[in-house]
Amino acid sequence: MDTPNETAQVRVEGVWKVFGRKPREAKEMAEAGSTREEIQTATGSVVAVRDVSFHVATGETFVVMGLSGSGKSTLIRCVSHLVAPTEGTVELCGTELTQADGAKLRELRRQKMAMVFQHFGLFPHRKVVDNVAYGLEVQGVDRHDRQDRARELLDTVGLEGWGDHYPQQLSGGMQQRVGLARALAVDPEVLFFDEPFSALDPLIRRDMQDELIDLQMKLQRTLVFITHDFAEALKLADRIAIMNDGAFVQVGTPVEILTSPADDYVRAFTQDAPVAKVLQACSLMKPLDGRAIDPEWHRVSSTTPLEVALPHLLGSINPVLVCDEHNTPVGLLHGDDVARVISENQQ
Amino acid sequence: MTSVTDARPTERVLRTASDSRVARFVLAVSTIVVLVLVFRLFTNFGVFPESWDIGLADPIDRARRWLINNQTSHWLYTVFLNPITDAIDWAIRRLESILRWFPWYSYPLFTGVGLWWTRGRVAGALGLASVTLIGVIDLWEESFATLALMGVSVLISMVIGIPLGIAAWRSDAVARVIRPSLDAMQTMPGFVYLIPFVLLFGVGRVPALISTVIFALAPVVRLTEVGLRTVPQVTVEASEMFGATERQTLRLVRLPQARPAIFAGMNQTTMLAMSMVVIAAFIGAGGLGQVVLRAMQSIEVGKASEAGIAIVIMAIVLDRFSTGIATADPGRDAATIRWLGVGVSALAVVGGLLGHNAFPESLNWQFAPYVDDATDWARDNLYDIGGSGIGTGPFSDFVTLEFVTPLRELLSADIPWPAMIGIGFVLGLWARGIRLAIGIGAALFAIGFLGMWALSMDTLAQTIVGVAITLAIGVPVGILTAHNDLLRTALKPVLDFFQTIPSFVLLVPVITLFHVGRIPGIIASVIYALPAAVHYTDLGLRRVPAEIHEAAESFGATRGQRLRRVEMPLAAPELMVAVNQVIMLILAMVVIAGLVGGGGLGLEAVRGLRRSDAVGRGFEAGIAIVLLASILDRLTRAIADRLRPPAAV
Ligand SMILES: Nc1ncnc2c1ncn2[C@@H]1O[C@H](COP(=O)(O)OP(=O)(O)O)[C@@H](O)[C@H]1O
Ligand SMILES: [Mg+2]
Repeated sequence: MDTPNETAQVRVEGVWKVFGRKPREAKEMAEAGSTREEIQTATGSVVAVRDVSFHVATGETFVVMGLSGSGKSTLIRCVSHLVAPTEGTVELCGTELTQADGAKLRELRRQKMAMVFQHFGLFPHRKVVDNVAYGLEVQGVDRHDRQDRARELLDTVGLEGWGDHYPQQLSGGMQQRVGLARALAVDPEVLFFDEPFSALDPLIRRDMQDELIDLQMKLQRTLVFITHDFAEALKLADRIAIMNDGAFVQVGTPVEILTSPADDYVRAFTQDAPVAKVLQACSLMKPLDGRAIDPEWHRVSSTTPLEVALPHLLGSINPVLVCDEHNTPVGLLHGDDVARVISENQQ
Repeated sequence: MTSVTDARPTERVLRTASDSRVARFVLAVSTIVVLVLVFRLFTNFGVFPESWDIGLADPIDRARRWLINNQTSHWLYTVFLNPITDAIDWAIRRLESILRWFPWYSYPLFTGVGLWWTRGRVAGALGLASVTLIGVIDLWEESFATLALMGVSVLISMVIGIPLGIAAWRSDAVARVIRPSLDAMQTMPGFVYLIPFVLLFGVGRVPALISTVIFALAPVVRLTEVGLRTVPQVTVEASEMFGATERQTLRLVRLPQARPAIFAGMNQTTMLAMSMVVIAAFIGAGGLGQVVLRAMQSIEVGKASEAGIAIVIMAIVLDRFSTGIATADPGRDAATIRWLGVGVSALAVVGGLLGHNAFPESLNWQFAPYVDDATDWARDNLYDIGGSGIGTGPFSDFVTLEFVTPLRELLSADIPWPAMIGIGFVLGLWARGIRLAIGIGAALFAIGFLGMWALSMDTLAQTIVGVAITLAIGVPVGILTAHNDLLRTALKPVLDFFQTIPSFVLLVPVITLFHVGRIPGIIASVIYALPAAVHYTDLGLRRVPAEIHEAAESFGATRGQRLRRVEMPLAAPELMVAVNQVIMLILAMVVIAGLVGGGGLGLEAVRGLRRSDAVGRGFEAGIAIVLLASILDRLTRAIADRLRPPAAV
């Protein structure tokens, strides 16, 4: 296979999921181009996922975006094998899940993956610390060690001192932090998120997104993230897949999606997206390629939204210098590029 | 635009649905009237012909004799039944001797600490005092027999019930077998369970225990299954995602979350076991039930009251404790309680070693004489107050002469038996369909073939009068509590109290006032069933959504209009559940009242249990009770379903 796939940690090839009695007929109708409603009236079966393939590289954040009912949850459940796909293969860290038996699958889940749920999925009968320690308990880690590790992770997600409460005593945002800590406690290579922040208030949602970005900078895990919020997808994603009626409509980087939406369905999202707000300097910058740097040029950090960089580009022929957190220049942001993206978005 | 065209067909469907409902009802009623008239006028059928009695009693009696003669020799006993008997007997005896080893004061102290832990200080103090009272009125020894039988019954129920609940949850095939069996088990009056086991094991504690376990098993099985089913799927998925095995998920995630439901099941099972253990005195189970039974038979009301109080204390302590464990939160008393627990345990061991087990006689004090005096006074003064024709006696006579007897005559003689079966058939047809109709018809025929027609109609008449009185009181009270939170809060402890009392004990105060006969049985059954009538009426009316109240109000409906036009129709299915529950409770009680001269099937069953030559008749009566219970249960449930509004499409 070609090189980028060598490092792919999640490979999904031709996955179908049909709920109902007649998967074969349903699939044939789907291949012939029938919509989900037509298939459901004809066969009584629901084609939740149709022929989805994608690869996620190590350290990449892959976001699946689609409206409610488009099959996102079913897809992520197929990938994590909480439900078996009707057809297709899923490979995780080099092991094909579709071939794995129960023991092998459990082993992979213990070692390699973890999931964060939309409605948190916390255990109401266990204290916060025991929730976080659950994955380790299942692996047979002794009580003392797993509690130490759990408390460490509670500190990481900003919940020090809350370990001895019960989940229902915490606010929604705090509960999802527990969910995140619980997933991280087993030190997984791949993390699945099924709309983890959808149930939260907008302000708390933004905090959690920022925190996830910070964590990911540090941890560099492979993330598969589901959302129905396009802005959230743009903010978090290295690549986005747009899903409609069970199938992927377009896969690409946020800039690609914004600048060249594949069809009207995708355009409906991009039109309303506040591009200048959600796109960051790093996503439009050009590499330095050894160009001389003028110390006069304005400097911004790589996570600066275009909106903030824009005033420094307008009325100036100079680019803006994009720097990493150590203030080392990493790229250049040109006014033309920004103007192009914003104007294309407005059309 | 679409909504207008859409609305029409729906409206038409609804109208035709309700039209056909009314039509069916009218058809059913007129068919019944025609049936009765035709049979009355043109035939001379009366009571079910005696010559059609298939005489099941004889083979049963023969079987019983054979079983008695072969108890020591046949493999059925030597290999199978006797080992079971011995094991159960051993367990009860063993538990009883362990219980007796501890010093008497450890019981009130443990009760006090336990109730403090589960329910707070007041409950703890009351528990301590009331358990002491059992000793004071000199029923300490008898209590151990009851407690030991209870302990072993509840233990066995748990050991069987929880795994059975898990199995029913895990496999739909198992659930399909278990669920209808549980339904059937709960339909039957507990009393009936005693008969087959007496047939097989003779009298004593072993058949008592087995029938108790069967009677009490249903709630723990059902609620274990329900608890497991209602565990949120997402927590199970979370567990699976961490690579937990099935067993780990069950142990760490499912069972702990099902715990409150399982505890609720254990509480209900305990209470059912309590009421059954008391009734089991009929077959020589001993203990407090035996004291009540003996005293009632010799009309020693004082003695019966004492034992009744001891049973009520035991029942309430067990109830409060077992409903409290799941939610116990002693707060800042926790440390104190823990230390007290340790202290009392140490004291119990020391006291046991010192042999302080007998309750000191110097503390004895009996209130039986006062109750007897009060009873005498009541008999002299309330039975017929001042010779005025007002009092409990004339009341009894009035109800008997005006309602019970005429109704019995109507059912058993005035309505010819074929018409009666026809009525059952038509009601079944109206309520559900041909299968229920045939079922009811067959069950009625079977009652006739058993030679139990007249007795069944007697019991049915008593049940109907009891149900009518209960609903006449319970439904209005339920309507009041549904609209008045204060009244509801005030009534709740009273209703809870009456629901906790084992059915049999309710007969004690009633015979004090009404002597023996059919009326005390009916009145006790009314008291027994009233809480259910109030509860379900209240529940049904409270379920009516607030918007519907407001909508009705916004049209300017008066309170009475709202109640009649809106609330009652919407609560109708729930009310029908109330009727169903009330009927089953009343029937169970009316049957038990056979003991105090209630007549009907109950009397026959009681006789069968007490006299070995009457086992056959008792068995027949038992089957008739089961058939009658099933008919009434199915019919009222079918009507409840019929009243439910059509499901959303
Ligand atoms: N267990 C199931 N059985 C039948 N249909 C299902 C099941 N789970 C999901 N579906 C159907 O599959 C479709 C996709 O659902 P889902 O994956 O939950 O979408 P999303 O997460 O994007 O909202 C929906 O039409 C849903 O009704
Ligand atoms: Mg979803």
